Amino acid sequence: MTAQAREGLYELLEQVTGFIYPNEIEIHWSILIVVYPYVTGLVAGAFILASLVKVFAIKEVQPTYRLSLLTALAFLLVAPLPLLLHLGQPQRFYEILLTPNPSSAMAMFGFVYAWYLMGVLLLEIWFEYRRDLIVLAQTSRSPLNRVYRVLSLFSKDVSPEALAFDRKAIQVITIIGIPSAFLLHGYVGFIFGSVKANPWWGSVLMPIVFLMSAIVSGIALVIFLYMVLTALRREPIDMACLDKITSYLFYAVIVDFSLEALDFIHRLYQSEESVKILGKLITHKLFLSLFVIQILLGMFIPLGILVLAKARGFNDDLRKLLYFTAVILIQIGIFATRWNVVIGGQLFSKSFRGLMAYKMEVMGLEGLVAALVLLALPFVILAVLIRLLPTTRLEEPLTP
Amino acid sequence: MRIPEQVHRLAIVLAIVIGGTLLTRFVIIPRSLVSTELHWAQTTQREATRPLKFAGSTACQDCHEDVAAKKAKSFHRVLACEGCHTPSIKHAEDPSAAKPTVLRERKLCATCHAYDPSRPTGFPQINVTAHNPLKACVTCHNPHDPVPPKVPKECAACHAQIERAKAVSSHALLTCTTCHKAPERHKTAPRTALPSKPDSRDFCGACHGQGAAGAPKEAPKVDLSTHGARNLCWECHYPHLPEGRS
Repeated sequence: MTAQAREGLYELLEQVTGFIYPNEIEIHWSILIVVYPYVTGLVAGAFILASLVKVFAIKEVQPTYRLSLLTALAFLLVAPLPLLLHLGQPQRFYEILLTPNPSSAMAMFGFVYAWYLMGVLLLEIWFEYRRDLIVLAQTSRSPLNRVYRVLSLFSKDVSPEALAFDRKAIQVITIIGIPSAFLLHGYVGFIFGSVKANPWWGSVLMPIVFLMSAIVSGIALVIFLYMVLTALRREPIDMACLDKITSYLFYAVIVDFSLEALDFIHRLYQSEESVKILGKLITHKLFLSLFVIQILLGMFIPLGILVLAKARGFNDDLRKLLYFTAVILIQIGIFATRWNVVIGGQLFSKSFRGLMAYKMEVMGLEGLVAALVLLALPFVILAVLIRLLPTTRLEEPLTP
Repeated sequence: MRIPEQVHRLAIVLAIVIGGTLLTRFVIIPRSLVSTELHWAQTTQREATRPLKFAGSTACQDCHEDVAAKKAKSFHRVLACEGCHTPSIKHAEDPSAAKPTVLRERKLCATCHAYDPSRPTGFPQINVTAHNPLKACVTCHNPHDPVPPKVPKECAACHAQIERAKAVSSHALLTCTTCHKAPERHKTAPRTALPSKPDSRDFCGACHGQGAAGAPKEAPKVDLSTHGARNLCWECHYPHLPEGRS
């Protein structure tokens, strides 16, 4: 053991309480593994919001339809990056593709991801944008028109029958897409829920809780982006749309909260041998991130704000302000949810007699900076996507 | 029914993706990366071409029968000879040409016998820095037939620091048992059966009291009736390295 390693060990030992096994001192799943379910959840949530328009024909939400799809795509492209960075050799990612392992639950993410990206999202976006891409290929300048031509796969048919086919295809893909989005994020919950050795994770409710919180965070993110985007473009916000989405958000938060409360009560009533250490875990290690940030700031206060905004007939500006505050708080709350699951599950010893501590790196592959970059990256991608692909349907007459 | 144009285009993309996947899977990736059996076979071949270093314990038994018989009954029966005697295929092939190097350093034994709480109960473990630190393990323990830890005859085996301090002090010539009475059980249960300590001032006074009969001349003398009356001597003076010299 080097002198440096010994010093590091002593520093860690001071943060350990009770009895832990020797190999538990290092927290292996770092903040990147917190970012991963968070980002994946945003994808699933944004897609489910988009599907409200097409499958359930909720016309009010139409202004956010394309934005939701592009948001889902931007975040989906980033979703595997935290995993690849965490594995330590991101430049070898192609080896996963060359030697797929169909019997590994973890490797299964690759299949779910590939299906969702290529079988659902890209396809839906392509059908949605095909007409606009043809229009843009004709109207924009070189070299951008070439890009649009390639993106449209050199398609030229804008006859009413072809457009009707696009709409039909979108309908079908969305119907397939909803279970796929559920699968994508349900899978992330499944990975944690199936770790039966870890009482904080091993619960059949986990995929459902993950899914519901994903819907909450995805809807909140699209609301946030919609408000920011309209403000940047100095366009008026469609208040009917905003009121409608926030009411969906409100119901989603209620369901999410009920599920988490159910999980909590269930654990408490079951009162397995782990209940004492889990009690210590949430009161000692997760008090701030669970009770204060996740439940109070991330659920109760936004719920109160939404109730207030709905019930009191405030004017548009005040409602906007309240909605905006609520969605930001919800985002922070959902991030804390992911933190509490991923980091919380590693803070107690399998002996059920001790607690560990997580010291986050700042620089380095698994540090805070890497996590912040990964969280900022989807917004950069989204900015490029929005620049390329209009979020409202083009109305220019076609040149013959 | 006419197949819409966009389906054609998507079909081309799909065909490229599927074609690319099949090409990668069946042409580009080497077979050994896909088939577990081939992968194993290749690894075995690769390893088999490496030069041999170990002769194997059976080779040692052929010549060193007595040692092998002794070791076979000992606690070290599962250890390979070459674990301590280093890889010795050359010695096995021609005993006179090459002699095996024997590892006698303390750190080799410490690999298994240094204290580690995760080792099973009853496994012989020592504190390497405190357990006869300057001696090689093999001076007291026979590695071919290590016996369960023997109860030490002398206190120094465990209390080496005290022993070393005492050796350079003016109490160097006193044995530990002059002042401490250790019950026999102390050797097997050191923390529950504690040895005694002098419990009266008169004990030290036998040498250090003024006018004590038969006291050594060089021992510093004090008047017991006035000097630190309420304390035992060793509460202020450290008897293993007493400070006063005359």
